Amino acid sequence: MALPIIEFHDFGFRYQSQTEQTLHDVNLTIYQGEKVLILGPSGSGKSTLANCINGLIPFSYEGEISGSCKVAGIETKESSIFQLSKHVGTVQQDSDAQFVGLSVGEDIAFSLENDEVPRKDMIPMVLEAAKTVGMEDYLMEPPFNLSGGQKQKVALAGILHDHAEILLFDEPLAALDPAMGMTTVDLIDQIHKKENATVIIIEHRLEDVLYRHIDRIILVNEGTIQMDTTPDELLRSDVLKKNGIREPLYIAALKHAGIQFGKDEHLDNINELAIDRYKEKIQQEMKAVKPYVPAEKGEELLKAEHVDFAYEERQVLSDVSFTVCRGEKIAIIGKNGAGKSTMAKLLCGIIRPVAGSITIQGVNYLPLTIKEIGRKIGYVMQNPNQMLVKDMIRDEVELALVLNDFSREEIDRRVEKTLKMCDLYSMRNWPVSVLSYGQRKRVTIASILALEPEVIILDEPTAGQDYQRYSEIMGFLETLNREYHITILFITHDMHLAIEYTDRAIVFADGKCIADAPVFTVLSDESVIERANLKQTSLVLLAKQAGIDPESYIRHFIEIEREERAHGTDETTVH
Amino acid sequence: MGLTKRLFIKIIPGKTFLDKLSGTTKVRFFLLLILLLIVSWDLRVLLAVSALGIIGMISVKPNWPLVRGLTIFMLLTNLFNLFLIWLTNPNYGADLTGGCTVLLVLSKHYFISAETLFALFVRFMKFMSTFLISLCFIQCITPSEMAAGLYSIKVPYKVCTVVSLAFRYIPDIARDFENIKISMQARGMELDSKKVGFFARLKQNILILMPLIISSFDRIGNIANAMDLRGFGKGKKRTYYSEHEETKEDKIMKVCYLLTAAGIVAIMIGRIVAPPEYKMWKPW
Repeated sequence: MALPIIEFHDFGFRYQSQTEQTLHDVNLTIYQGEKVLILGPSGSGKSTLANCINGLIPFSYEGEISGSCKVAGIETKESSIFQLSKHVGTVQQDSDAQFVGLSVGEDIAFSLENDEVPRKDMIPMVLEAAKTVGMEDYLMEPPFNLSGGQKQKVALAGILHDHAEILLFDEPLAALDPAMGMTTVDLIDQIHKKENATVIIIEHRLEDVLYRHIDRIILVNEGTIQMDTTPDELLRSDVLKKNGIREPLYIAALKHAGIQFGKDEHLDNINELAIDRYKEKIQQEMKAVKPYVPAEKGEELLKAEHVDFAYEERQVLSDVSFTVCRGEKIAIIGKNGAGKSTMAKLLCGIIRPVAGSITIQGVNYLPLTIKEIGRKIGYVMQNPNQMLVKDMIRDEVELALVLNDFSREEIDRRVEKTLKMCDLYSMRNWPVSVLSYGQRKRVTIASILALEPEVIILDEPTAGQDYQRYSEIMGFLETLNREYHITILFITHDMHLAIEYTDRAIVFADGKCIADAPVFTVLSDESVIERANLKQTSLVLLAKQAGIDPESYIRHFIEIEREERAHGTDETTVH
Repeated sequence: MGLTKRLFIKIIPGKTFLDKLSGTTKVRFFLLLILLLIVSWDLRVLLAVSALGIIGMISVKPNWPLVRGLTIFMLLTNLFNLFLIWLTNPNYGADLTGGCTVLLVLSKHYFISAETLFALFVRFMKFMSTFLISLCFIQCITPSEMAAGLYSIKVPYKVCTVVSLAFRYIPDIARDFENIKISMQARGMELDSKKVGFFARLKQNILILMPLIISSFDRIGNIANAMDLRGFGKGKKRTYYSEHEETKEDKIMKVCYLLTAAGIVAIMIGRIVAPPEYKMWKPW
């Protein structure tokens, strides 16, 4: 029997600034050497729980603790963050902000420096830690030259020196593209085995974490523990959806097919799934599927032809061509650095093509200014906080109209219309600062829609958002598209987003456009998946094992999901 | 990285002789040379230090176009400054060197004397050598080495870390600023200097600052947590990964800066024991 290493007893915590407890009635024991996933939507209290383990609570965030929390036998409230950091190594969510050194080596060495380890002892320790995560060739690199995944690895290396008994990962996948996410999950698994440590992962991306074995899942919501069980048990139950967590796609697909899972089945790994039992049912289901009829295309709005772009001498995009028609929802996907953000900047006119042409409604856009293009093509940044400049919602929404010298009457008319479209009219005189993240996002979209652009481009609209917020934002955009025929381009590396909400995917890899086809076609094309650093969806595996065509299976799945959503729209879009 | 070039700092240590010295050596030598330039009014010393500065400059292989721009700017401000000094006191040289050999009379008040020209030239060299040495220092040190070097002269390490952290996050903040600016431009903000007046542009830039400040505050919170979790601030002392052990070169330079220190002390003692009649050394 393993020894307990973390023990919560009737634990509760209230932040100084809040009147209610963020955590209450927490009773939880984690044993030495376990690998545990703490699962929960945003605002569920899961990050607070993590901060109680590593000592940020109560040492950095003040508040009131009730009950007891023991980490490695130490009562945390009687300890200090420095004492706890000897036992708990933490990798935080924001891989950029936690990179405090000016080079990889320096960042890995940071805790050693604070421990006054002499430099000659430090060098081999840093090298060893770097080797463990595969970053030994980058020791001199500054953070600006690293990808999010590489920074994440460095952060992980930085907590390996002390051989802490507990390794804590706070949303490690939030900023990574799908393939990078898989690498990280795999790396965590390897380190778990090698270091013999207790690993705690805080995440809401269940399917991605389940890429490697997890011993136990603790589902947290509304400030307390909802379920503490094995992955299989959890997947079999129906608590995930109720708690705002997305089920793995293959589980959702099998549940759609009306399959009841047996008690003894392994569900956490698709490769161990007893697919033979369901084969028939799935094949039966597929018989009813109608052949694909492409939707009729609207007027051509945007056309890129043989576009090349280079920064100084580095070729970033070469020979990119595609067309966007009215009313389309398109996903622009590809790994970080593949050229998708550059493409967005090109479309907005912030940078201009070196060769080739871009036309907006048949008009060459080269002579137009950014401002003129901005009225045709709206650009919504990833982080709403970087777009909001005014105090009041109304002022924010009308800003672009004022800057474009519209008449007062026209401004009032458009602002009113946009606010109503975005369901913000009743809040028009609210200060922006009181809004939630999802509402802020909506304000930024409204501020762009006020100009009545032909196309809006959204950069990673759901990055770092849990399923609930994700559904809120995407449901809203879907309504805009359906009710008001707004054409939307999504720049994303979220496969789920592409599957659930877009019709077509344009895939970038190494500065080239390598695919432009319906989403289900792209996602079932293995060579595209590999070249673009995407992750093969579990639906493809499931279809293959069941002996059916992956392409039509994905299409079928998308249709069911959309239908289901259309029936349940009231729940997801109105907030 | 274009930005660090624009900011004039090195993040990755270079490979030249000066680059390879330890942060301690660089910081100490630099501070002592600056101190020497402050106390000394001796043209021979100034010329020698300037020569060192020029050799140093060439040896670190700097970004010449930038150096040129900066040098021209400094030269012009310096000359203007000297002109103002002459304007307020045409007999400036007499106070510093004694004597007044008039070369050219311009009006009742204004004349040019050999002593004044000489004194102004000394001032000019004092300024330019300080500039050269500083430029050379900035070109050969990384922020991490600077932190380590400052720590070696007993600056509290929390202060040292602030210095290197600033350089770590300036490029991030600059990138955020750039992004915010772009999105505002797309919404119709005109930032083109040809189309909008200076004050209108200033006002718009202030508008952009709002979201920048908010997102920077979020980041600061995360940084502070990351540092706490890795034990920053635990002890009274700290070691530095980027600060290598003393090499042979460092030892040679140590002799140099100790001599400089001795020189400064000699000058100070000389002033106290046998105060010279005039502040400035003159060749005649």
